[in-house]
Amino acid sequence: MNTRLLMTLRVTVTTPQSIGAVPHGTRRTVPIAGGDFKGPRLRGSVLPGGSADWLLLRADGVLELDLRATLRTDDGALISMRSFGLRHGPPDVIEALARGEAVDPTAYYFRTTPRFETAHPAYAFLNHLITVASGDRRAEGPIYTIHELL
Amino acid sequence: MNARPLMRLRLTTAATEEIGPTPHGRLSIFPITGGSFEGERLRGIVLGGADWVTAAADGTFELDLRLTLETDDSALIHMTFTGVRDDTNRYFRTLPRFETAAPKYAFLNRLLAVGTGEAHRDGPVHTIEEIL
Repeated sequence: MNTRLLMTLRVTVTTPQSIGAVPHGTRRTVPIAGGDFKGPRLRGSVLPGGSADWLLLRADGVLELDLRATLRTDDGALISMRSFGLRHGPPDVIEALARGEAVDPTAYYFRTTPRFETAHPAYAFLNHLITVASGDRRAEGPIYTIHELL
Repeated sequence: MNARPLMRLRLTTAATEEIGPTPHGRLSIFPITGGSFEGERLRGIVLGGADWVTAAADGTFELDLRLTLETDDSALIHMTFTGVRDDTNRYFRTLPRFETAAPKYAFLNRLLAVGTGEAHRDGPVHTIEEIL
């Protein structure tokens, strides 16, 4: 798998909305208050409106993530991002994350697959990229290191 | 990012069903009649499925596949994947996902994967790696 760095995305989250037990697991929605992203080809901020992570904790202990965010580049382009992901690990590590403690991101599996949509010609290359990200869950919100699949 | 090989998936397809221009682009459906997959941890045959392919105005294709795999020890695996095929840039990459009830293959429920596709005369071949 050949990849190159696309961006590092930092997201800040606000109070989660615990939807509770639903037919496919336990659902929680985490609104995104903002954030920023930085990479060799693009940088900018995360817009709070319409950005959140829809989480589903499955019966097998795996957390499914469905993040949608609007990014605004430093030159004013809007980019819609959606990423599906999985997070799981040893129970003590997952409990430490839930308590908001700093945990070594290599101690658990936190991977996502972002896709992007934009109408801006300068960033049209994003429309047809398959990317993979590794996540680092911090108390203030996750940090994603996103790599483009070459 | 680190990855390790998961499987090589070969698909055989039947005649394309051309749905034509839709609001999202030109839609073609490629029925999948069979195939096989092989990796260190699993191998077997493809029972069937299809690929819903939408051609964008810029000449790229968005793929949307659903398949059923059967391992050589009779476990059924539901496989879905989306992907991008851009022949101009020789870019054919996919994001496979798996669901199974078989305990032996439950590791598939917990992983994300990426695939590299190749178009062959007798059907596409996907080399799929697990994202570590």
